Amino acid sequence: MDDWLIAIIKVVGIWVWVLLIAVVMTWVERRGAALIQDRPGPNRAGPWGLFQPLADGIKLFTKEEIIPTKAQKLLYIIGPLLFSVPAFSAYAVVPFGDKIVLGGKEIILQVSDVNIGFLYILAIGSMAVYGVILGGWGSNNKYSILGGLRSTAQMVSYEVPLGLALLGIVFVYGTFSLRDISLAQQGTFLGFLPNWGIFKQPLGFILFIVAAYAEANRVPFDLPEAESEIVSGYHTEYGSMRLGLYLFGEYVNLVTISGIIVALYFGSWHIPYIDLGAYLGPISWGIVSFCIFFLKVSFFLWMFVWVRWTLPRFRYDQVMGLGWRGLIPLALFNIFITALFIQLTV
Amino acid sequence: MNQNPTPQTSHDTGDYVTVNIGPSHPAMHGTLRVVALTDGESLIKVDPEIGYLHRGVEKLGESLTYHQFIPITDRLNYCSAIPNNVAYEMAVEKLMGVEVPEKAQLIRVIMMELARIADHQVCIGILGVDLGAFTPFFYLIIQREEIYEIFEWFNGARLTNTFGRIGGVDADLPDDFEQRWEELKPGVRKANDETEKLLTHNRIWMDRTIGISAFSAEDALNWGFTGPCLRACGVKRDLRIDEPYCMYDKFKFKVPVGKNGDVFDRYIVRMIEMEESLKIIDQAYKLYKEMPADAPLMARVPKVIKPPAGEVYSALESPNGELGFFVKSDGSAKPYRIRIRPPCYMIYQAFPELVEGELIADLVACLSSLNVIAGELDR
Amino acid sequence: MAKPVVKKEYTLSERIYLWEILKGMKLTWGHFWFNFKACWRPGPHTIPTCWQYPEDRTREISPIFRGEHMLQRDDKGRETCIACGMCAKICPAQCITIKKAKRKEGEEDKYAAKTYPATFEVDLLRCIFCGFCEDVCPKNAIVLGQEYEFARYTKEECILDKRKLLMNYRKAKEEGKLKPPRKRVPVVPAPPKPEKAGKTEGGESKKGKAAVAGKAKKKPVAKKKAPEKAESTEKAEGGEKKQAAEKEE
Repeated sequence: MDDWLIAIIKVVGIWVWVLLIAVVMTWVERRGAALIQDRPGPNRAGPWGLFQPLADGIKLFTKEEIIPTKAQKLLYIIGPLLFSVPAFSAYAVVPFGDKIVLGGKEIILQVSDVNIGFLYILAIGSMAVYGVILGGWGSNNKYSILGGLRSTAQMVSYEVPLGLALLGIVFVYGTFSLRDISLAQQGTFLGFLPNWGIFKQPLGFILFIVAAYAEANRVPFDLPEAESEIVSGYHTEYGSMRLGLYLFGEYVNLVTISGIIVALYFGSWHIPYIDLGAYLGPISWGIVSFCIFFLKVSFFLWMFVWVRWTLPRFRYDQVMGLGWRGLIPLALFNIFITALFIQLTV
Repeated sequence: MNQNPTPQTSHDTGDYVTVNIGPSHPAMHGTLRVVALTDGESLIKVDPEIGYLHRGVEKLGESLTYHQFIPITDRLNYCSAIPNNVAYEMAVEKLMGVEVPEKAQLIRVIMMELARIADHQVCIGILGVDLGAFTPFFYLIIQREEIYEIFEWFNGARLTNTFGRIGGVDADLPDDFEQRWEELKPGVRKANDETEKLLTHNRIWMDRTIGISAFSAEDALNWGFTGPCLRACGVKRDLRIDEPYCMYDKFKFKVPVGKNGDVFDRYIVRMIEMEESLKIIDQAYKLYKEMPADAPLMARVPKVIKPPAGEVYSALESPNGELGFFVKSDGSAKPYRIRIRPPCYMIYQAFPELVEGELIADLVACLSSLNVIAGELDR
Repeated sequence: MAKPVVKKEYTLSERIYLWEILKGMKLTWGHFWFNFKACWRPGPHTIPTCWQYPEDRTREISPIFRGEHMLQRDDKGRETCIACGMCAKICPAQCITIKKAKRKEGEEDKYAAKTYPATFEVDLLRCIFCGFCEDVCPKNAIVLGQEYEFARYTKEECILDKRKLLMNYRKAKEEGKLKPPRKRVPVVPAPPKPEKAGKTEGGESKKGKAAVAGKAKKKPVAKKKAPEKAESTEKAEGGEKKQAAEKEE
C-alpha cells in the first residue's frame, strides 16, 4: 500500500512539476526573447509578467473550438492528444534527483527506474510524430500537410543519430538505466575532469544535442512550423486548447530532453569534485540533489531559448542532408572510436 | 513560359498540388499573392498575382494639383517615403525647367540617403525574419527608429514624410542635426555589425542564401532589373553615378557589385550600400555646412504650379532601384497624366524565373531579398 | 532559364557550423545581459530602446510634430484665422470645411481680422497629416500640434469643429506645447527686373507662409472667393467639382 501511495505521489508530483516548468518556460521564452531583442516583452500580467502563461491558458481554454468543415474530425481531434501524451509520459524514466529517505524508506527520485530507460525514451519519443502527422493530415490544409510531412521526415531521420549517439553512452557505462548512468558519473575522470558523460563522449554530446533540437522541432530545425513559409505548419488550423496542447507538448518535450541531457552528459545531480551526499543528511541530500539537477536542467532550457533567438532556420533538404550525411556518419564514427577505446582500455 | 492560365484546383494538374501563398500570408510583404504549383516541396510553376493593393495612385494624380500629389507619393514605397517625394518633385521641376538651389539639393541628398539606410534595414531585417532569424530584425529596426527621429525633427512626420516641395525643400535641417547624426552613425554601424555577426558567416544562413535564385547579369538586364538586385548580378549600374542628379557627382562613394545575383549577394550589396550611404551623408553634410546659413532652399516657383505643356521622364536611384516618374502636362494646374515606374514592378516580373525549380522556403527568401513593396508594385 | 552555377568556398569555421553559432550566441548574450540589468532600473522606461507607452511618455516629441490640428489665437487671445480658405483649397484629402463670416462691431477683442470662420471643421478621418494647411496659412492660424492620440469612439468625435480646435490650442498652451513659429524657407532672390515686381510678392507670400500676408496679388483672389463661401458651407470638394466641370466645358 505504501509503495502504491509513494508511486502515485511521485507520478502526480512529477507531472505537476513538469507542467509547471513548461508553463514557466513559455514565459521564460517570451521574456528571454524580448531581452535578447532589446525589448521588455510581456510584463503586464502580474509581477514581471509572470502570470502571462496563466492569461494565455485562460484565453486558450475559453476560446471557441473550431473544427474546419472539411477536416477529418477524428484525426483532427486525436492529433494534439497523440502529441502531448507521449511528451508527458517520456519523463517517467528521467531522474530528477538522487534519493530521499523518509521514515526509514528509501525513495528514488525518479518515477520509475526502468532498466531499459533509453529504449523507452526512444520509443515514446517517436510516438510524438504521429500527433504531428495526424494533426497535419486531419486539418485538410495544404500548409498543414507540408508541415506534417516535414516534421515526419525530420523526426524519423533524426532519431537515427539520436539513438546512435546514445549508443556511445551505453558503451561507456554498460547500462540502459538512466539512474545507473547518473550514479556512475560521480568522482573524477582521468584524475582532473569530473566524471561526466560529456568528457567521455564529447562528440556524442554534440550529436545528441543537435539531434535533440531537431526532435523537439526547435530553431534551427523548426521547419515544421516555419511561420514565414508554411504559416504555422501542422497546427495552422488548430485553435483553442488543441493548439495549446501542441504548444505545451513542445515545452514538455524540452523539459524531458534537458533532463536526459543532464542525466547522461552533465553528471545528473553531481557537483564536480565534491561528493555532497557524504556530508548531508538523507533528507537534505534528497532536496539538494533535486535542486542541483533542476539548476542544470534550467540551464539547458535556457539554451533552447538562447539558440532559438540567435539562429536562422534550415531548409528542408538541408536538414535532411545534415542528418543523413553529417550526423549519422559522425555518430557511427563516434561509436567506432568509443568501442575502440573500450576495447583497448578494458 | 507562363502563358498557361493559373491552375485553380489541384484536380486538373495531375500529381502536383497548387499551393496558394498569399495575399495574407506571413511572408508575403503587404498583399502579394503567389499561386505555386508544387511537387512536394519544390516549385514547378509559380504565378505571382498583383493588384491587391491597387489604389489608383496614377489616376488619382490627375485630379490633384501638382503639390497635392506629393503626399500620395509617400504611400508608394512606404519603407522609404523620401526618395519617392524627391523623384516626383524632380520630375515636375524638370518639366518646369526649375533649378533647385544647391543647399536644398544637399538636404535632399542627406534625407534620401537616410531613407535608403532605413529601407535597407527593413529589407535585411525582413529577410532575416523570413529565414527564421528574428533577432537581427530588432537590432536593425531600433536604428531605423533613430532615423525616423531625425525625420520627425526635420519636418514633423516619421513615416509619411511629405518631404520637400516642388522647387526645393520645406524646411532646413534642424539645429541639432549634427548631434543626432553623430549619435546615429555608430548606432547604424553597430547594428550592421551585429547583423553581420549573426548572419553573414553563419553556415545556416549561407546555405539558405548562397546560390538561391541566382540570376545572370544578362537576364537581369533583359528583365529590367535595377538597383541592388541588378548590382548583385554584377552590373555596375547606379543612377547616382551614371546619371547624376542632386549633386551626387560631387560625392565619392563605391557602388558595391555582386557576382551571382543570388539572395546572399543582394544581402551583401545592401549591407555595403548602407555603409556607403553613411559616407555620402558625411560628405553632403560637410558641403552643407560650408554654405551660408541663409542660402536659398527654394527656387522661384509660382504659387500655382502650371508647368508648360509637355512631358518629362525623370528617375532617381531609390533604395529599390530606378524609380521614375513620367509626368505629362497640358499647361493646367493639374497633371494630365502621371505614370510611375516602380523598381519592384520590373523585378517582380522575373519572379517565376527566379524561383521555379527551387523549394518553397526559397520562394520566401527570394521574395524578401527582392524587397518587393506592394504599395509601390500595385500603386 | 539558365541559372548561373554558384560555388562558394566555405572556410573551416563556416563549414563546421558551431563556431559561428557560438559567436552569435555570445552576441545575443551580450544583449540579454545588458537588458537584464536594465530591467532593474526604476521607472517605466527601463530598457533604453523601448518606451512602455501608456505609462511612459518620456519620449520627446518633436515640437514641429504633425499631430492633431489646432486653431491658434494671437497674443491678445483673439482668433487669428481670417477664413481665407487657403487650407481648404490646398488640402489633398479635402478634409477642411470653412464657412466665412464678417466681424461685427464690438467683436474686435474676439477676432483679429475683419473676417473669421463661422465654422471650421477638420475631418480627422480624412486627414493625412501632410501639413500643407499650416504651410499655406497666411496667418499661421491652423497648425498641427503634438497631440498624437487620435482614437475616438464615434465618427462625430472625429470631426474637429472650431470649439475643439480652439480647445486643442488652449490645452497645448497650458502644457507648453505650442508650435514654434515656422522658420522661413529662404527663396532664391528675384532677378532684378522691375516689371516682375508683382510676381515677386506672389513668390514671397508663397515662401513666407507665416509672416508675409497676402499682398496685392492675393487680395483679388480672396475677394473672388468670398461671396461663394459666405453663401454656403463650401467644401473644397465642391470647388474641385466646379473646376472639373469648367474643365469639361
